[in-house]
Amino acid sequence: MEKFLSIPFLIFMPLVVSMFVISPLFTRNEIVVRRFSKGVFGFHFLYSILMLAFFDSANPYISQIHFFGLDWIQSIGVKFTFKIDNISMILTMLTSFVFLLASFASKFNIRANHKFYYSMLLLLESAILGIFTASDMFVFFLFWELELIPAYFLIGGKWKGSESEQEEKQAQNSAIKFVLFTFLGSMVMLLGILLLHYYNFISNGILSANFADINASQIPEFIQYIISVCLLIGFGVKLPIIPLHTWLPDAHTNAPTPVSIVLAGILLKTGAYGILRFNYQTLSDAFITIAPILAIFAIINIIYTAFVAYAQTDIKRIVAYSSISNMGLILLGLCAINKIGLSASVFHMVAHALVTCGLFMIAGIVYLRCKNRDINTLSGIATVMPRLFGFATVIVLASIGIPAFAPFVSEILTIIASLNADFSDVLKFASVFALPLLILSSCYMLKFLHKSFFGELPTEYEKINDITVHEFIVLASVLAGLVIFGIFPNVLLGMIG
Amino acid sequence: MLNDIFNILLPNFCILGFIILQLVLSIILSPRLFRYSRLVSIIGISLSILLLSTVQTEPQYFAFKNSLMSDSYTLLFDFLILVCGFLVALLSRNLIRTIKGNAYSFHAILLSGIFGAMNIISANDFLTLFVSIEILSFSTYFLIAAAKGYYSKEAAFKYLLTSAISTGVFLFGVSYLYGICGSINLSQIYEVIMNQEPSIMYSISAIMIILGLISKLAVFPFANWVIDVYKGCETSVLAFLSTIPKLAVFGIVCRLLVFPLSNSFELTFVIAIICLITALWANTYAIRENNVKAILACSASANSSYVLLAACLVSVYNLSTVIFYLMCYVLMNISAFAFLNICSEKQDMNVNGFKGIFYNNHGLTGAYAFSILALAGFPITSGFIAKIYLFTAIANSGLIFVPFLLALLLLMVVALYYYLKIILPLFERCDKNTFVPKLNPVFSQKFVLVITAIITLLIGIYPEKIIELCRFIAYNI
Repeated sequence: MEKFLSIPFLIFMPLVVSMFVISPLFTRNEIVVRRFSKGVFGFHFLYSILMLAFFDSANPYISQIHFFGLDWIQSIGVKFTFKIDNISMILTMLTSFVFLLASFASKFNIRANHKFYYSMLLLLESAILGIFTASDMFVFFLFWELELIPAYFLIGGKWKGSESEQEEKQAQNSAIKFVLFTFLGSMVMLLGILLLHYYNFISNGILSANFADINASQIPEFIQYIISVCLLIGFGVKLPIIPLHTWLPDAHTNAPTPVSIVLAGILLKTGAYGILRFNYQTLSDAFITIAPILAIFAIINIIYTAFVAYAQTDIKRIVAYSSISNMGLILLGLCAINKIGLSASVFHMVAHALVTCGLFMIAGIVYLRCKNRDINTLSGIATVMPRLFGFATVIVLASIGIPAFAPFVSEILTIIASLNADFSDVLKFASVFALPLLILSSCYMLKFLHKSFFGELPTEYEKINDITVHEFIVLASVLAGLVIFGIFPNVLLGMIG
Repeated sequence: MLNDIFNILLPNFCILGFIILQLVLSIILSPRLFRYSRLVSIIGISLSILLLSTVQTEPQYFAFKNSLMSDSYTLLFDFLILVCGFLVALLSRNLIRTIKGNAYSFHAILLSGIFGAMNIISANDFLTLFVSIEILSFSTYFLIAAAKGYYSKEAAFKYLLTSAISTGVFLFGVSYLYGICGSINLSQIYEVIMNQEPSIMYSISAIMIILGLISKLAVFPFANWVIDVYKGCETSVLAFLSTIPKLAVFGIVCRLLVFPLSNSFELTFVIAIICLITALWANTYAIRENNVKAILACSASANSSYVLLAACLVSVYNLSTVIFYLMCYVLMNISAFAFLNICSEKQDMNVNGFKGIFYNNHGLTGAYAFSILALAGFPITSGFIAKIYLFTAIANSGLIFVPFLLALLLLMVVALYYYLKIILPLFERCDKNTFVPKLNPVFSQKFVLVITAIITLLIGIYPEKIIELCRFIAYNI
């Protein structure tokens, strides 16, 4: 059975299908396009489940693509290699799942240019899977750049078919902002990768960009700092770390719901994954010194954005800022540099992906029905949408860290991990400041729930319908995930090790 | 002497023969038969490409009392120049339809430009080099001025002035070097320089020689011509201007930096600073430009500076990255200009004039957008590989150059902004009132655009064979 499981198929299947979907050979019929892509996402999810089922963390999946018997760029030692270890496996699984949810969420949100939309979504999945599974720095960078093209079109495209000129302009501007910010980050990151490649060559004597080789090399500490800072700027744009975060709220607000789900659910995690792979594992000497400083940034992320989120009135912006806040928690877990912190981080990546899917889905449903995302003018929709209200209540409670849901586990673990960090007092201090996340998040989340769902129902909302089957499936599967990982966290924690 | 011609100069003499043939045809044929001028050029260039196989390269062959040489390096550059010349000749259809009776002379000048470029590559003394540069420059003036209208004449005059000044600087540097070494032959100069302490006079002369040469690359002190000249040029001439002089000058500059002028740290430093200033100027200037040609002019200037920075940090490894980058860059550029050539009859080159053109012609516009993305260095294009490969070379040159590299990388973000400014309007959907030009390309234009885009894609996916070739050539210089 294991012979049939191949990483290249896992990564490049969506890419090939996306080329097929956009080609003139494929039908323009929107229903066929939608169902076909949904089927592809479903198949991909099943395939990744199969890979998970046969996964053995002692000998991870490794694969190398040869081009006519040669490596990719042999002269600088770049090989097209992939490796799925336990963390990659979890994130691959998560990616596949979130994209499946996004394809379900697309039904009512996407009303034009179906072929282009689904092919871009598939291409984005390929690129993100490439990031999570690459075991060569330059391959990692290749996918990191490749992901910009579909992400640009997904954020800035005309998917509703009925956008006003202003909306269209806004979406395009935020897409350009996203691309320029990420490109800025990735260029600085490229400098770090080039230096890492060079100093690995000096210390090891082999031209290689493979993570395993670089982990083994002895890079001078001073150089490690330079490289770490370069890489952290690159990942900090994606994560985002506070001064580099300004692209995020715009991009998330202007993108259609399924795209927001993908952006917040998966795309932000690529930044955390990068820090984990590069800074945490490869440049570990420098990371011990940098971690306390980074922890301070994480605390700023957590607290500052929580206050900003409280001041927002747009539901999507609240959720977007809450994502930044949560990413701070993931960063703090990594900064603790111990096993608990690592597993807390990865666990929170999964938990936050689920929560944010649910929250963006709710925001999308409300916007689709009421044509309004402002919590000051929304009120009383619980009476017409009782089922949505039920889901919203549970997911909001889960997001603020109520026990029995997944985020609770990771929040507690993160705080324990940073208390256990022996190498620096800053981390112990930071754990104290991480606690307000629980309080502050309940402030803005409950405010959103309270203002939009309770109160008197305006007459114009009396005719709106409750959630449909597609939306129910998305919300229910999110909820199931939250509950399963909340009650049996060992399913995931055991796998992280 | 005849032996020399048969050993290394057959391709050059083939081009020379076809120049004379074109001139004779321009006298004896009726102006109505102007279309055949393109055919004659294409035949000439193809024949010359075939004749490249007769050139002796092992190990190095010196001809005409050491004034010309050939090795695998010159062979590769001759090949690239001829291929670019072939593609430019294919693109010249639109232009020769406007100048009709002068088409034969136009092609004669085009061929003489190629002839000059090939001689620059194989020059082994400064006199030959000077004469070849002048052949190339004079051809370029006339090519730029060939298009109808005021702006092309203005552009040609500007190019003439800058070239004249830079040639003066070049000659001045050569005279100093002659004073130090007592020779104008590159091999002899190299021997003399290696046996004595580098003096300040030597560095000054080296800087002046390189400065004089790189004015053709639109690098800082002589960069201002580039925007006006590009705006005034016809697109097929632009495909010529942005590739062939660049290949020729980079070919000789790399050779000079590896051999006779390799002994000067000041030179490296000055060139690095110049590159930085050029990249800064070109990338920031392009932000406010709205003309596609002007943006591509800035991009040409910026790209030159990246390559020059890698070239001045001399090592064999760097040389291979420079050759690879040039190959990729030349193809992307021709691809972009091929699309502009298709559109050139329909519009002035404002970026907003291209709105929605994607929906009229998917394939060609897609190929164009792809080549612009390649210029911006996106993955699965040759531009991505070329950039990574070039930047590894700069990063490997030591920590001093890391700030330079950082600056270049940050400027690439700015570059992405103006490349997006070209690409995004192509995909914009516009309402029914806006006029979207319909493209009706002929086969030769489509061929050039598609073939260059496909090669760009193939190198982007599978670069190893080409990189190996570049390394082989760099090690054999």
